[in-house]
Amino acid sequence: MEGNVILLLPVVCPILAGVLVLAGKMFRKDRKSLMAVSLAVLLLEAGLTAWALTSGGSIQVWRLTGQMNISFHVDEISRLFGALTAAVWLLVGIYSVAYMSHEEEEHRFFGYYLIVVGVLMGLNFSANLITMYVFFEMMTLTSLPLVLHERSRAAVMAGLKYLFYSVAGAFLALFGIFFLAGVAEDLTFAAGGILNDNMVAGKEGLLLASTFCMIVGFGAKAGMFPLHGWLPTAHPVAPACASAVLSGLITKAGVLAVIRVVYFIVGPDRLRGTWVQNGWILLALMTVFMGSMLAYKEPVLKKRLAYSTVSQVSYVMFGLSLLTPIGFVGALSHVVFHSVIKHTLFLAAGAIIVTTGWTRVEQMRGLGRVMPLTLGCYTVASLALIGIPPASGFVSKWYLACGALASGTGIWSWVGPAVLLVSALLTAGYLLPLTIQGYFPGHDFKGEEIEKRKLAGKEPSLWMLGPVGILAAAALLFGCFPDSLVAMAQSIAAMVL
Amino acid sequence: MSGWEILIPGFCGMGLHLKMDGFRMVYTAIAVVMWGVAGIFSREYMAHYKNKARYYIFFWATFLATVGVFLSADLYTTFIFFEIMSFTSYVWVAFDEKAESLRAAETYLAVAVIGGMVMLMGLFLLHDVLGTLDMDQIGPAARAVLAGKETFESGQAVHVAGGFSSAKVQLYVAGGLMLFGFGAKAGCFPLHIWLPKAHPVAPAPASALLSGILTKAGIFGVILVSCVMFGSDGAWGLLIAGLGLVTMFLGALLAVFSVNLKRTLACSSVSQIGFIMTGIGMSCLLAWAGEGNLLAVRGAFLHMVNHSLIKLVLFLCAGAVYMNLHQLDLNDVRGFGRGKPALCFCFLMGALGIGGIPLWNGYVSKTLLHESIVEYAHLLEEGALAGEAAGVSPALLPVLTDPSVWKAAEWVFLFTGGMTVAYMVKLFVALFVDRHPTRQAEFDEMSSHYMRPLSRAALVGAAAILPVLGMAPHLTMDRLADLGQGFFQGVGHAHAIHFFSFVNLKGGLISIGIGAVLYVAVIRQFLMKPRKEGGRDYADLWPVWLDLENLVYRPVLEKALPGICGAVFGVLEQYIISVPLKVFMALSALVCRSFDHMVDGLVVLARKTVCRQLPEPKTYLEGNWLAHVLGTFVDGWLLLWDGLTGKRTKGEPRGSAVSRFIDRERRLKHMGELVEQSFSFGLMLACIGLCVTLGYLLASFYHWM
Repeated sequence: MEGNVILLLPVVCPILAGVLVLAGKMFRKDRKSLMAVSLAVLLLEAGLTAWALTSGGSIQVWRLTGQMNISFHVDEISRLFGALTAAVWLLVGIYSVAYMSHEEEEHRFFGYYLIVVGVLMGLNFSANLITMYVFFEMMTLTSLPLVLHERSRAAVMAGLKYLFYSVAGAFLALFGIFFLAGVAEDLTFAAGGILNDNMVAGKEGLLLASTFCMIVGFGAKAGMFPLHGWLPTAHPVAPACASAVLSGLITKAGVLAVIRVVYFIVGPDRLRGTWVQNGWILLALMTVFMGSMLAYKEPVLKKRLAYSTVSQVSYVMFGLSLLTPIGFVGALSHVVFHSVIKHTLFLAAGAIIVTTGWTRVEQMRGLGRVMPLTLGCYTVASLALIGIPPASGFVSKWYLACGALASGTGIWSWVGPAVLLVSALLTAGYLLPLTIQGYFPGHDFKGEEIEKRKLAGKEPSLWMLGPVGILAAAALLFGCFPDSLVAMAQSIAAMVL
Repeated sequence: MSGWEILIPGFCGMGLHLKMDGFRMVYTAIAVVMWGVAGIFSREYMAHYKNKARYYIFFWATFLATVGVFLSADLYTTFIFFEIMSFTSYVWVAFDEKAESLRAAETYLAVAVIGGMVMLMGLFLLHDVLGTLDMDQIGPAARAVLAGKETFESGQAVHVAGGFSSAKVQLYVAGGLMLFGFGAKAGCFPLHIWLPKAHPVAPAPASALLSGILTKAGIFGVILVSCVMFGSDGAWGLLIAGLGLVTMFLGALLAVFSVNLKRTLACSSVSQIGFIMTGIGMSCLLAWAGEGNLLAVRGAFLHMVNHSLIKLVLFLCAGAVYMNLHQLDLNDVRGFGRGKPALCFCFLMGALGIGGIPLWNGYVSKTLLHESIVEYAHLLEEGALAGEAAGVSPALLPVLTDPSVWKAAEWVFLFTGGMTVAYMVKLFVALFVDRHPTRQAEFDEMSSHYMRPLSRAALVGAAAILPVLGMAPHLTMDRLADLGQGFFQGVGHAHAIHFFSFVNLKGGLISIGIGAVLYVAVIRQFLMKPRKEGGRDYADLWPVWLDLENLVYRPVLEKALPGICGAVFGVLEQYIISVPLKVFMALSALVCRSFDHMVDGLVVLARKTVCRQLPEPKTYLEGNWLAHVLGTFVDGWLLLWDGLTGKRTKGEPRGSAVSRFIDRERRLKHMGELVEQSFSFGLMLACIGLCVTLGYLLASFYHWM
């Protein structure tokens, strides 16, 4: 073991703590100590992550054989994803304290919740493809209990579906890894790719095919067509805080994996203008439109948000598939913005469900009388997701469209932005009705149910409202002042392209 | 006139850029005046509503956003404030939460969101081809592209996105998309549909602002696209002028037929926007013809200013009616204005202004607009254009260069002016001359307290501006035009116009004549119906309006008008937008749904076919045959034994042995399964271990070798 040991801390600490929470008997009975330990670990995790990200460097943990080894390092991409993960995980953790009090077996949820963040950090810090693959699979397995949490039949079936899609995707990717391990001895990430012409001479076709397999395979986690099916099934049955991180961060792990493969192993120059790029763009745009359309048709709020995730994460995929610096900036900023926005939306949806028990959008008429602040946060996040300036979604959409127009990908260069805007229209169509019905229920709305159940003005507790409010404010402020984020994305883009 | 500039770099990615110049100063001042007056009026108007805080928050938020639009110095900033303005003003329309308000608000939001997205697409394309969105730079850059150059003055190459045949095509597409977005807000045909719906349901101060200044934010963008980008493009000028003429005519026609006070004013707004658009189009055409276009530029700008101020007064007058009666139908509110001189003065000033009566402000701007059409037609007659018809496709040339087309346009203009006079007379007569058949005494009794002094002072003050502007045009309006015209980037020199010379008065007088004839011959004859049951004297003398809507307007609107121009509306709204949209949505939902279930479907298909579970060998429902045989045997034997020994012939019967055997058998089977499973699991682990070992060995061999 040689290198900067600090990098291990954010990975190992939460995993150990999670195992402890799962094993320790006292956490089953004593809710207070469970919450104290969980929150303390999450805070510690945020601190450790900050420490690791600032100290940088790399560490080789375990040498399997030859060039295959488990090792971590910190680069700009790790910084972006790591900081995002730690911050959002902490906020959702605070929210879960109040939310999970309505559920059983809290210690199990928090145990796995802590383990997953450690695994995600491992994924963010991975220095080579092998390490990343190991942590990618671990992430699937450790996040599965979050989906299964309610142990209803629907939850188990959804969990199996999640597992099936993830494993199918991972095997597709594994094919690519075998091929790449054959042509390149060392699969350590390097900006701009590690392959040279000697390695792939005579195997160009196979290289493209295996790259496409990896994009589609890792794309399963990012909810890209055709392997997006797990998202709308798994989200509605999981607790809202689990859906939030599944949708906001686990899908981004798929994005990270694709970035690593395309921009750090294969190299964007090898894909530019090939059928892989065209196929990728096509899949991404299809997913963008399909997700929005199905969200528009979906009456159940959490499922609607899940379809929205399918659509929005493919905005990121579209930006990556353009292989231009501006598109890349748009994609990375949309990673952050969508994560913040979707967490706000899911957490708000969870607050609505816990307080009122309403799950379908048409039940939520007059919601503004029940929880005006929560609905306000939801509205801000909705406007940000549609891309109404100055909220954040607009900024990433601007860069995505500019990147597309400058990409020289033929007809895609303007079809792409057009699809993004049609999808934005549909986004308005599926997010705003809740706001409109909530605040403007109409003259004839009497609100019998609200009166009967004494729901009026019943905002969720500060534990829930606080994180939702912070995230909604972030969704707005990131849009107003995206400078540092955009600068960071630009510096990464300059390195890899 | 140049002022300050503000740059906030990095805000929203590209940064905000605001600046102040003559045009922006005038419009900021107008915004301040309008919001001030409307705000004062709101205090009384909103007194009895719930949710006042919500109204005021969005009232002032929209103010800030609107000022932001007018101050913006690049299109990126414009777009940001434009979208904020659209969303904050949505709350005005939906404010009272009645069913029709919510429906109108839905239309408003749909037009705003669709318009915004289409505009954004235009901005993407524009930014791509020009490389800038700064208002000072897009003009020269667009001219370079239109001239077919490869590089801009700065040396930067013109970029063409994939799929476009040339930069020029891309620029036209971008311009068209932006025109769609800005035109939707301005209320330009065929995107005017939100105006007649949204205005009647919004609170009156909000209607005044929606009509008076939010539409002007749309016009602001139309000016940018038309005058700055396509400033001397003949085809573009034709498009804008054509849209302007259609909009002005249809708006006025709808207004003539409307029987709702605020709806009439809203349709009138559509029509007046048409006047402004015509002016903008004429400025493009005059510049294309190589002439000075300041006549059209000044006309368009002054008509913007006039319309803002006039509609403020008129909508607030309508608000004064509504807050007392809570009705807007002309049949219900007629006679309300009798004996209320302040209201009468204000409404009269607005009506005279918008009707283009000499000595009031509307006359001045309409005269300039009229003169610009006359001048263009005159140029064509002189044949000045023969050698200069460059840059326009030959198909458009006959329209652009035929003087009779522009003579016809002039008559459309004058006739629309006549209709404006006619519908304003109709409103005025209804409010201030007619008597209400039953409630007149009640109305008269309201005369002392229908409006609070503060509101009254604000309204009268706003109304008094109009004749001041109109009576001293050289002192006031010329100076305003001097301030504003720079923004339009017009060419040529402004020459003094003698507004009250006979040549110029002629156009106004023709319109007034047409208006009088229309009112007397059409409105009084065909659009009014004598009430049959009315027995009182004045009912015979004065045709009653009671069933007007059902007996005259509705049949006319639903049967006669569809034959003329309603068909255009109806077909457009119903069959070109609505039905294909629904079909498209249904189809794409279907396709998407099938994609969504594709993988799941494959899995299900596989499970039903190749991977289906084979039927298990036939077994007893419970237990296997052995248990049954053994159990039956034991039962029989026991029965025999009992019979032989004589025991237990009475009492409770022994339980059947069959079930015990079945139970035992099941336990055995279960244990067998467990053994089998753990065995196979162990085997599997062993295999994995073997594989790992093998892999390790191979890898190490590979490494050693």
